[in-house]
Amino acid sequence: MLAIRTNKLIKKFKDKTAVNGIDLSIEKGELFALLGVNGAGKTTTIKMLSGLIMPTSGEIVINGMDMKKDVFKIKEIINVSPQETAIAPNLTVKENLEFMAGVYQIKDKEKKINELVSQFKLDEVLKKRAKTLSGGWQRKVSIAIGLINDPEILFLDEPTLGLDVIARKELWKVITELKGKKTVILTTHYMEEAESLSDRIGIMANGDLVDVGTAAELIEKTGAKTFEDAFVTIATGGEL
Amino acid sequence: MRTLNFAKRNFKELIRDPLSLVFEIALPLFLLFIFQQFDIPAENYKLENFTPSIILFGFSFITLFTATLIAKDRTSSFLIRLGTSPMKPRDYIIGYICSLLPIVLVQSLLFFLTAVIMGLTLTVSIIPTILASMVISVFFISLGILIGSLVSEKGTGGLGSIVVQLVCFTSGMYFPKDSVGGVFEIICKILPFEACLNILQSVLNNDFSNLTVANIVVFAVYFVGVILLSIIVFRKRMISDNK
Repeated sequence: MLAIRTNKLIKKFKDKTAVNGIDLSIEKGELFALLGVNGAGKTTTIKMLSGLIMPTSGEIVINGMDMKKDVFKIKEIINVSPQETAIAPNLTVKENLEFMAGVYQIKDKEKKINELVSQFKLDEVLKKRAKTLSGGWQRKVSIAIGLINDPEILFLDEPTLGLDVIARKELWKVITELKGKKTVILTTHYMEEAESLSDRIGIMANGDLVDVGTAAELIEKTGAKTFEDAFVTIATGGEL
Repeated sequence: MRTLNFAKRNFKELIRDPLSLVFEIALPLFLLFIFQQFDIPAENYKLENFTPSIILFGFSFITLFTATLIAKDRTSSFLIRLGTSPMKPRDYIIGYICSLLPIVLVQSLLFFLTAVIMGLTLTVSIIPTILASMVISVFFISLGILIGSLVSEKGTGGLGSIVVQLVCFTSGMYFPKDSVGGVFEIICKILPFEACLNILQSVLNNDFSNLTVANIVVFAVYFVGVILLSIIVFRKRMISDNK
């Protein structure tokens, strides 16, 4: 069953077309990576799929619900970890989790928070103010917050951007554990991240979704030796 | 429920910033205390007139720190996260306003307590003055929401300081505007701060002879206008910030 379906999705900002009529189908439980260079349209696509901005034209269907008609119902079953760390800086980690549990009106707040604390091993930072945490911890907390409403669909916008290799690997482990349980849409600049984490990869360039497939399929299709080479070939239309 | 939850978060963010407490409470209290030590022979500095002035002065910092909080939320992606949640635009605006009201109440109570200790006659009119100050504070909070929605965190410092200066110089808290006269007096009449101060002083002294219809009209126009504008601009910025 499809978690996300888009039909001729277009987003224009004045004269600039950020997303140019993409058709996307993502299965429930799939980990789908959106890959592309800066300005390819990945973040704009995520913002439209998460109801943050409305498309100029086209259709978005999330779990069978139309984004235009049911945006607030859709917002109940999704969550987003934005590109920049989006946590309340003067609140402790526990207070951040409690606040977001309040935003989603979670009934058994304590139980859910305890689950996340255990899943993300947040015990040691629970009473620390968010602004005092390292970048890696802040991202981890940000993703934990993204799961507070037990979302059916989780959007992770460049979750490991700017993290050191150990923090990145730790987050990969967390994301891998979500596979199959949640539909995860991940945007990233890191080829190895997309290759090792995702079930399928969509490559965007200049607002177009130029190709979709597994890493192996994309490598085979382009005849490249590595996934990075395959990406460069697809994203540049074979010019490089 | 979502509104109160958001207000609780904003309240915590504000009271955990020591600078905001210094400027919103400690500095006005210090001014209230220090100006009474000079025994200045002017009506403005009598406790029954200067206490409302200090309340208004404290509100100007409420505008500054509200603007800073909102600008910070906008730039830190915090509002992007909330924008994808089921929170509705009204939850944000009411949540920001509600988070400031307990601070406003504490401010007013502390200012009056200090004033009474220093010699202000304890009368029942203090209660309606506090209630009137709560209403006026909504205008100052909305002004903060408007500024925070329009400019960056750095910009809020500049614009907030202008509001503080305008309150000081155009409300009549330090000197009677008719002692300057001319264009300055007209500016004082057009801006809302003199009207705010006149309302508070009139209620506290139970003497409405200085409160003009123009004062009421000016305050009402700014009150409604700034609230509406803050809602419109905040909503627009939430969308444009996400482009």
